[in-house]
Amino acid sequence: MLKLQVLGGASQQLSCLHTSISLDAKHWERNNRKVYPPQLPEEPRRPAEVYHSRRQIKYSKDKMWYLAKMIRGMSIDEAIAQLEFNDKKGAKIMREVLLEAQEMAVKNHNVEYKSNLYVAESFSGKGQYLKRIRYHGRGMFGIMDKVYCHYFVKLVEGVPPKPEKRTGFDQAKEYVQGLKNRTIIHSL
Amino acid sequence: MFPCPCIAPALAVNGPSLLPQIEQDPQQDEEQDPEQTPGLLDSILWMAAPKKRRTIEVNRTRRRAERKLIKVKTNIEPCPECGHLKQKHILCGFCYAKICKETGLIRQQIKEMEGGPLTAPPVETVVLYEGETPSEQDGGKRIVERPRKRPAWFRN
Repeated sequence: MLKLQVLGGASQQLSCLHTSISLDAKHWERNNRKVYPPQLPEEPRRPAEVYHSRRQIKYSKDKMWYLAKMIRGMSIDEAIAQLEFNDKKGAKIMREVLLEAQEMAVKNHNVEYKSNLYVAESFSGKGQYLKRIRYHGRGMFGIMDKVYCHYFVKLVEGVPPKPEKRTGFDQAKEYVQGLKNRTIIHSL
Repeated sequence: MFPCPCIAPALAVNGPSLLPQIEQDPQQDEEQDPEQTPGLLDSILWMAAPKKRRTIEVNRTRRRAERKLIKVKTNIEPCPECGHLKQKHILCGFCYAKICKETGLIRQQIKEMEGGPLTAPPVETVVLYEGETPSEQDGGKRIVERPRKRPAWFRN
């Protein structure tokens, strides 16, 4: 994969220029080529990010969404395990994409441990459809769409962040606190 | 996709009750005929149809409801033999495939031994690997020889 040699300090300004290096320079994959300036010694270490996608999968984007929603926020091992035992067609394809992304992360993106990744973003998009004719009765016809979808995933190095659980009791407590904080403004 | 009843008449009223009784006979017959054959006219009046387009918000809340999302499985564990993942109540896929391969080769050997269909001898079969001799129990059994070392998972 070709890498853009961006001049050190001016990387942020130059990244908005249209430099078409390769034919398959789609937007999601371009994120992989982003180069940050070197970090100062006091800064916390920036976790590695890997962007990967697969285009024109012969599957519906709505059906793919359910699988993408399931693996959001999981660690990569957990995600691969869940997809292995799911019976949907998209699960097999998604598992291949995740394994490819994991391999890319270790080989090209300086990730030390292949298990130390989690799924930060995962979603599906509409691909280019083919149109066909579906014959109805009485000489009527409908236009049938042969659906295709894209699948996008972003893996980030590190432990998956725990989603904050807000119970009903916490929300009620906050509401009561808000009521208690009411005062009369400009009073004596 | 495209609506079928394109040949239905635009007027949809009950014929005989609206017309005055002094009407001539041919006209009454024309009005009564569509009523006697309850086909398109009657069905148009009670056919269910959506009143309004469902908004994308309404559609999303239905499609993304908790019961429609895929549930996360909690019964996945590694196989103690090979280390691949397996479900608790199902055999390990890798181990099963490995056994299937070996049994396939055994079956191929039996096919070569028999030579044709319906020639199976009415005795039990025993599989022997390299350096093994049939024991006393395997007296009258048919022997299938496999020219390899006995696999660890296939015990006598």
